[in-house]
Amino acid sequence: MNPFKTLVALALLVLTPLAHAFDLQQLSDQLAKPGVIHGAFVQEKQLRSLPQPLTSKGNFVLAKDSGLLWLLDTPLKQDYRITAAGIARRDTDGGWQMLPGKSAGAEQNRLFLAVLQGDSSGLQRDFDVQLSGDAQAWQLTLVPRSMLLKQVFKQININGAALVQRIELLETQGDSTLLKMVDSSSAQPLSDSERADFAD
Amino acid sequence: MPIERLLPRLFLIALLAVLALAGWQWRHGAPLSANLMELVPGSTPDALELRAEQRIQEPMNREMLVLVGHADAEKAVELARQLSEKWQASGLFEKVQWNVQADLPALREQLLRGRLAMLPPKDRTEFIEHPEAFIQQRVQSLFDPFGGFSLVPSQEDWLGLTGRIQNGQPMHGSVQLDIGSGALIARADGKSWVLLRARTRADAFDMRLPLHVSALLDEARQQASASDAQLLAASGLLYAAHGQQQATREITWVGGGATLGILLLLLLAFKRWRVLLAFIPVMVGMLFGATACVALFGKMHVMTLVLGSSLIGVAVDYPLHYLSKSWSLKPWRSWPALRLTLSGLSLSLATSCIGYLALAWTPFPALTQIAVFSAAGLVGAYLTAVCLLPALLNGVELRPAQWPLKIAEALMNARSRLLTRVGTPVLLGMLLIFCAAGLLQLTTRNDIRQWIAAPQSLTDEARSVARITGYQPTSQFFLVRGADQQQLLERQTSLSQRLDQLVTQGKLQGYLSLNQLVATPAEQQATRAALDTLPAHWQPLLALGVPPEVLNNELANLRALPVQSIDAVLAGPLGEPWRLLWLGSNAEGVAGIVSLQGLNDAALLREQAQDLPGVQLVDRLGDLNKVFAATQISAAELKLASCVLIVLLLILPFGLRGALRVIALPLLAAVCSLASLGWLGQPLTLFSLFGLLLVTAISVDYAILMREQIGGAAVSLLGTLLAAATTWLSFGLLAISSTPAVSNFGLSVSLGLAFSFILAPWAGRQHESRS
Repeated sequence: MNPFKTLVALALLVLTPLAHAFDLQQLSDQLAKPGVIHGAFVQEKQLRSLPQPLTSKGNFVLAKDSGLLWLLDTPLKQDYRITAAGIARRDTDGGWQMLPGKSAGAEQNRLFLAVLQGDSSGLQRDFDVQLSGDAQAWQLTLVPRSMLLKQVFKQININGAALVQRIELLETQGDSTLLKMVDSSSAQPLSDSERADFAD
Repeated sequence: MPIERLLPRLFLIALLAVLALAGWQWRHGAPLSANLMELVPGSTPDALELRAEQRIQEPMNREMLVLVGHADAEKAVELARQLSEKWQASGLFEKVQWNVQADLPALREQLLRGRLAMLPPKDRTEFIEHPEAFIQQRVQSLFDPFGGFSLVPSQEDWLGLTGRIQNGQPMHGSVQLDIGSGALIARADGKSWVLLRARTRADAFDMRLPLHVSALLDEARQQASASDAQLLAASGLLYAAHGQQQATREITWVGGGATLGILLLLLLAFKRWRVLLAFIPVMVGMLFGATACVALFGKMHVMTLVLGSSLIGVAVDYPLHYLSKSWSLKPWRSWPALRLTLSGLSLSLATSCIGYLALAWTPFPALTQIAVFSAAGLVGAYLTAVCLLPALLNGVELRPAQWPLKIAEALMNARSRLLTRVGTPVLLGMLLIFCAAGLLQLTTRNDIRQWIAAPQSLTDEARSVARITGYQPTSQFFLVRGADQQQLLERQTSLSQRLDQLVTQGKLQGYLSLNQLVATPAEQQATRAALDTLPAHWQPLLALGVPPEVLNNELANLRALPVQSIDAVLAGPLGEPWRLLWLGSNAEGVAGIVSLQGLNDAALLREQAQDLPGVQLVDRLGDLNKVFAATQISAAELKLASCVLIVLLLILPFGLRGALRVIALPLLAAVCSLASLGWLGQPLTLFSLFGLLLVTAISVDYAILMREQIGGAAVSLLGTLLAAATTWLSFGLLAISSTPAVSNFGLSVSLGLAFSFILAPWAGRQHESRS
């Protein structure tokens, strides 16, 4: 075969997907569009020694300007809130109790928010990021760069369409967590009680 | 005249011997030290306390905390990485660390092994007393997505004990681990600050190191500002570097200034180049002083050199004694002039030595060194002036300038005119009123900080570093002793309960104590015993689907964990911050340190140790300030004692009446200086008192000169004037020192000298008959 032709063919192979690719910037723009997302979640924590996963369910509210409300419903009721100020937990009499900032915890939550909000610039610093698919069905694969993160996570997979639908955390130790966001919608603004929850 | 040939030869042999000794002493470089702590009283004879103190100080003198700040966190990290590589390559540092390279497998291992021994007290109580709530919380944490990641996977620790140990670790200031880069980052003032720790190979008191470190830092600062970054640094090393630079500068100024001034004065007064040989006694004096100091103390402190450089002005007084006789002795010949003044010279040496050596009895090693340096230096200068200099000046005929004598005569005449109008008693009365009014305004102040002339920029920077990182180590600490580890940890636990209250009240930022890391053997047993009740409460875990055999297996593993000693826990990676605090076992038992963060109220700390057996607050600075105050009283006593000695010495030549008169004048001069300090609004410090102690001894010399009146009143006054001028040239220059202690000393000596000179003529005999 003509070596020149081979080269051109190879170049086309490499270039074509790029030309039409759905890139990280587009994904970021797409995920950053909605101001408020309401939805339900199912969390399945798969532990190596357990035959079935630990499953929990609840609802969440992600507000671009305020933060995240994570309302766990079953098997136990517990509300969490992540804002710029840190993580808080609703105590028995309804007030928010700030959790003492733990360095590693705080960093993980920054990641969590970055993933949910599609902040790929924040993710690219710590992970090798690979995007595949298109705007209607994409998958983001995150592989940690640093030695420290590698000792905790093997890989993080995020799938979605207009919004994030599925997050899978594969831990180095063999456990994994699957988070499914169902019925997510960006149609409604914050309710008064949600606004109050973010405010205090 | 055989004696006049023999003396110089004998002296030269002695001088060669001293030179040889000095050469041997300096064979490994200058035996100098800059450690401030060597200068202050060692009030702790207790070996354990001393060791604890060294442990606490060591990191301050060897480590440097640097913050690399940039608005962009990534740039800050990158700069910190570059800086760290560069510094590591410099060879000055044992370790330069900007990121955490956590050995997670080792951490996991220690957490699993320490599940019973290292469980924090609050969690242990809950585990033993409310096992059902403990299990409930565990179930909750299994579903908590924000609990932070646990180092140990759930199925290796079903009870979540390792997570509780992890969360129970005291917070290390306000720096956060950036898990991407592993850097420790604090955010403040709109910047991200990356923390860099550099540990040097030697400590701050190695003479060369601080300057090298400071130079490296300056270079790094320039580099940082070129890329819009800012560098903040805090370390005892930087203070040491500054102190050294300052000491060098001051030795140059004081020593050089005094030397130049004195040489100029000699030339102007005596108009002969050879008279500059009078400076030889000064140099020999310095040599003797330094050699004696190193021989006695092993090394010499830079502060001794600064203060000791004032000796130049005193040492030159010996040759001046007989050189000044050239105004009356015509023709002037060296040996006869010496013979005439020898008794006065010897008396002057004796009184000055008494004055200096009185300083040696204060509890300050600094002053002991200065006393030894000065006394030996004076002896050297005296011997040179008596044995060698006359031989060198043999054949020189001095025809001194007449202007100094005219000044002295004019002064004497002015005094006589004054005395004819106003009598001595009236003058004395006025002087006493001046003194009384001045003394009333005198305030005292004593603080260790007078020893340190830390520039504002260094302290400001250290404060910024403390504010941004939350690392604010205090020099005070608790020393806790116990018969065994059980008792030690129990005692630390009692102390911790009190300290926790201070922390919740916001009065104390934090503390580190061994009992935070490891439970007592008895508590470890109690936790183990509580394992037996667990199966009755673990239903919620079974409900999640955890198989019963998995839980039983877990229980068996926990029961098999051994009781852990302090040493075993410290050996693991989690023990690192506490390692310095464990003093191990000694003859009486075991001991540990409790280090503190962010509190300097010694009184409040002292209260915490009350009624706690085996607990002691070690507060070196506070103790020192107390020693300062106590020393002021003993210094006054010393002064009186030295005066009595001088009187006894002077009775021989002058009789009791004469001796009392000669000593009364310097004492009056000292009182006048005190009053002047009051009028000037300057506080009386321990150092001004020491200065006055010294000036009494030196100015007795002037009174003696005026009393002896060899060559007439005007010539004697001229001798006094020259002596006072040279002494003032060196001590007066100390007043420009930026170390408050040194400048205080210089000021009080200057004042004392001025008054001594003014009052000296009253030592003369003729006025006894006149007044």
